[in-house]
Formats: sequence, structure tokens, C-alpha cells
Amino acid sequence: MRRTWPKHKQAVEGLQMRRAVVFFAVLALAGCTTQGQHGAGGPAGRRTGIKLGMVTDVGGLGDKSFNDSANRGLQIAKAKDGAIVTVLQSRSVTDYEPNLSALATEGNALIFAIGFLMHDSLDSVAPRFPRTHFAIVDSIVDRPNVTSITFKEEESSFLAGALAGLVTKKGAVGFLGGIQSPLIEKFQAGFTAGVKSTDPAARVIVKYTGSFEDVGAGKEYATLLFRDADIVYAAAGKCGLGVIDEVKSLPRGDYVIGVDSDQDGLAPGKVLTSALKRVDNAVVQLADDAAHGHPPGGHIALGLKQGGVALTDFAYTKNVLPPGAVATLAAYRSAIIGGRFSVPSTLKELSAFNPPHLSARH
Amino acid sequence: MNSALAIATTVAGIAILKSTPLIYAALGGVISENAGVVNIGLEGMMAGGAFAAVLASYYTHSLPAAVIAGAFVGGALALVLAYFAIALRANQIIVGMALNVFAVGAAALLLTVLFGQPGTSPEVRSFSSIASSSGPGIAATLHYALVWMALGLVLCAHVILYRTRVGLHLRAVGEQPRAAAVAGIDVMKIRYVATVLGGVLAGLGGAYLSVGEVDLYSDGMVAGRGFIALAAVIFGKWTPLGSFGACLFFGLFSSLQIALQRATVPAQLLEMLPYALTIVALAGFIGRSRPPASDGVPYEP
Repeated sequence: MRRTWPKHKQAVEGLQMRRAVVFFAVLALAGCTTQGQHGAGGPAGRRTGIKLGMVTDVGGLGDKSFNDSANRGLQIAKAKDGAIVTVLQSRSVTDYEPNLSALATEGNALIFAIGFLMHDSLDSVAPRFPRTHFAIVDSIVDRPNVTSITFKEEESSFLAGALAGLVTKKGAVGFLGGIQSPLIEKFQAGFTAGVKSTDPAARVIVKYTGSFEDVGAGKEYATLLFRDADIVYAAAGKCGLGVIDEVKSLPRGDYVIGVDSDQDGLAPGKVLTSALKRVDNAVVQLADDAAHGHPPGGHIALGLKQGGVALTDFAYTKNVLPPGAVATLAAYRSAIIGGRFSVPSTLKELSAFNPPHLSARH
Repeated sequence: MNSALAIATTVAGIAILKSTPLIYAALGGVISENAGVVNIGLEGMMAGGAFAAVLASYYTHSLPAAVIAGAFVGGALALVLAYFAIALRANQIIVGMALNVFAVGAAALLLTVLFGQPGTSPEVRSFSSIASSSGPGIAATLHYALVWMALGLVLCAHVILYRTRVGLHLRAVGEQPRAAAVAGIDVMKIRYVATVLGGVLAGLGGAYLSVGEVDLYSDGMVAGRGFIALAAVIFGKWTPLGSFGACLFFGLFSSLQIALQRATVPAQLLEMLPYALTIVALAGFIGRSRPPASDGVPYEP
């Protein structure tokens, strides 16, 4: 399912807006570091469903990427099941624990902790609220009342890399990460392996911005990367928006590959594809489980096979793909799903990686 | 050889992009601190300016309006600082910090209220978008209009501070406000004007960040630049030209950090260096770095 963003004003319910205004104003004045977006599950008086909470990581809502994707999932749950949704944003890592505790105290049945940065905070909050169920995305917290959801980002990144290898004319592609961490390394390893599979001679230039928020830095890194490369894959949160802004002013033939959410429409024709991470689907699924019984608990790893990660379908860029590219990608995809080779998820595995030979390769 | 030159050009280009917002904010800091008001709120004024510029561009589609809006909001925030710090003689550091938190929070609130999408604004008409829609030449100049303006303002500030009567009065107010008052200078008025002017400049730096470099406002996009500008003020010994040099130096280092970054070398090392040098400068190893004598001290007539 594809959803596009409302480019401009979204309809906001009057009540919701007034509450948000009061809430924000109080926080801004008090110098508090969290901000919230409270939403009622429908017109007042209607029977409302399960109470769902979510704590964003420091990237926050509006990253048009990871946190937004999770929020979309919650909004779907709200529309579908009449869930009451509360989103708390974190301004710094010290906000995680208070935010998680606040939502648990408010009586939410299921609370989503979005991002691996929240691992330690959730690990200490979860035992204090044994009757509340938590879910963490991108990390594994081993507690009975926590469901851990991870994604095989290396698999979608591999397909993105394979596509970049097929499309590049300069024989060089760029990878721009945010803060260096095992998570972002999965993107880097998978992407590099993909490039090496379709264009073994291509160079992959790797840079890290050291931030997930600094849009300007994303643009500056992009300026440098596009000097040598003609395709840049950005796994750097809001920094990726700077990369997309940069590519708008470049001549045809330079492309960005988006990440997490569908970013293809942010610069139509210039965003080759986006490596989707369907946090929204996972959130909807889990909310559904919670509403109709019990969330599963334990660890769930979602890859291409489970529909947890995917590439977008080239809505704006079909005409620039070389002939056979879509078929080649499909062949790699089914090979990964069929377990015919495994995609490296760390730099160590990457150095031992041998590009697979597929019959569908041209 | 040719490619080395090409890389040098790219690095220099990024250094200028990196330096420009710092130059605006640092210049604002230099002017207010020379008049005796410490402006810790530069970060918030940049955020306010960045957001206002996007807002103005969104509603009017006019870049001059965007730049003016950025300057106006930066100045308005500085007026709050001026009122508390000058009229009420509040602690300037605390008021500045409060403004930082307020401006960022207010921008986040307005993003949700006006655009209905928290965190990031829609894309708006920006300097880079006019560069890509028209041909090269004029467009490139326009694209960098805010960069050129920063250079012009540095020269203006230098001339005004050191070659005019107004500049002399301003520095006198920052050094010996009591003596200045005895000489017939209106200390309060000069401090007000200098602080607001400082905020206007920080707001311009914010406008550069949002509509000059990219085409949107996003929470956290100022990313500590206001504080880096404060370091540049100190490193530049509270002079326009010195701070300008410090900003270029900081920009160059960030840019080198981008270019030289390898997986094996921790990127943070090069990035840290300018600030380590600021501490060295403060410790007095690179000549004396002395603030104006009454910098940060409320004036009580």
C-alpha cells in the first residue's frame, strides 16, 4: 500500500488542535523538552478503543522517514480500531525514560518505543509496569512484557544497491549514514553488497554526517558525494532531506535513494526509489494483536519475505531504469526470500561476501 | 593535480556554505557583546529566523520577504532579551537560555498548528530552487546572495565599530558604561539597539539555513550553530574581522572533516579541533582574548 504525504495543511480536529496548542504552549513556556500530540479517537462520546502510546526518538515526527512511518501506523490503528493515540516526542536521550513512564502511568495498553536509542530506557521502565505491554523497534529488549521488532534493512538496502549498480554511469555511488552504529551499518553493508553484485567495479563512497537532524549537513555532504558519485543512498534521518534538496539542483542523471518512508515524491524523478521499512505495518499489526487479545512478545525480525522491508515501485523513475533492471531486482529479491544467499548485515560479513551468480543476471 | 584542485574547490565551497550562518550569528554576537550584552540566545534567534523565513516564503512566495521575516523575528526575540537584560537587569545568560528553549518550542508548536505536520515544514520557494529553475550565471549569484551579504555586513560592522562615532559610543558602553553615561551617551538606548541588531543578524543566519541552503524548516536544524558562533566570537577576540576569520576557520575544518572522513579515522576528531582551539584561545595561548570590560554586566544608572 502506498500513501503520499499531505503536502500542505492537514485537517486537524478543533479539539485536538486546541489541546495541542495548550500543551505546546505550556511546555514551551516551562522550558520542558518534550512535546506531545494528543488525539482523541473520534467524536466525543463515541466508544473508544484501546489506548496506544508512542515515544519517538530524538529524530522526532516530521523526519518523513522512520518516526513518521511509525506514526502512520498508529493513525491507521486509530482510524480502523478507534484506538486512542498519544505520541510523545523526545528532544534528547534523557527524555526517553520519563516519556515511557508517563505513557505507562496514563494507562496505555501498548506503548511503542521507536528506535534502538531507547533500549536501555525501556529495559529499566518495562519491569516497573508489568501489566503494560511495550514494543521496541530496531532493538531487542528481553523482558516478558516487551515485543522486539527488528527489520532486515540489509535486504532492502541490497536491492537498492543492486539498482544503483545497474543505473550508475560514473561507476561510483555514495552512501550517507547518520550516526555510525550497528543499525546504520546494516544499511551500509547491504547496500555495498548490492552494488558489488551488479557492478563489481563500482566504487562505494561512504560518509557519516554524525547527526540525524542537521538538514544543512546532509546537503553539504551531498555536495561532496555528488562530485564523484551519481547516486547517493541516504540512511541519515532528516539529513536525507538535505541530500534530496541538493539533487533537485543537479542535472539529470544524478539520483538519491530514499529511506524508511516513501520519499519518491519529494523530488519526483530524482529519487530513484526508496528502501521502505514498513514500521507502519508492524505497528498496525501489533496494535491489532493488542486490541484482539495479546501481543506476541519475544522477537520478530521482518525482512523482504515478511513484507517488513521493500523497494518502492519506481513511480517517477521507470523510464530511466536500464532494460531488464526490474527483472534483475525481482530475481535478487526471490533469491533472498528463497534463502539462496544471505545478505551481509555487518561490515565484517560484508568483507567475506561473494556476489551471488543468478541465472536472471544479464 | 587537476583533481586535487577540483577537490580543493569543492572543499572551499562547502566551507563557505558552512561558515555563512556562523558569520551572521557571530557578527550579531560581536555587536551585542561590544555593547555589553552577552547573547546566549543566538541559537534560538537563528531557529526563530529560520522558521519565520520559511513561513514567509510559504505564504508570499517572495524571497526578500522571507529574509526580512527572518531578520524581523530574530530582532523581536532579541528585543525580549534586551528588555529583561537591560531594563530589568536580569541575568543575561539565563534569559538567553530561556529564549533558546522558547524559540525552538514555539517553532515546533507553530509547525503543528499551521502545517499540521510536526517536525518538518513543507518545502518552500528557496534560493536554491531559483538557482535550479533558471540558468547559470545570474542564478548562481542570486543563490549565494546571502553569502555575499554576509561578507558585506562584516565590512560594514568593522567600519562602524572602529571608524565612526556611533561605534566608539557602542564600545564605550561595553567597556565603561558609567564613564560613557557621564560623557552624555545614552547607555540604555545603545545597548537596546545593539542587542536588537545582534538578533536581526542571528535571524538572517537562520534564514540562510532554511531558505538559503535548503528549502524547509526542520526541528533541530540549527544544530548548535548558535553556540559555535559564540565560540567564534571569543576566538575572534570580539572583533568583526576576527570572528569572521574564526567562522571561516570553523567552516573549513567541518568541510575538511567531510572530505577527509574515512571509516578508520574517527570523524569527530577533526570536528572537535576548532573548539579545542577556542579553549586554547580562551586560556590565552594565542594572544590575549579579552572580552569588553562590562560584557554581561547589567548597567545600573
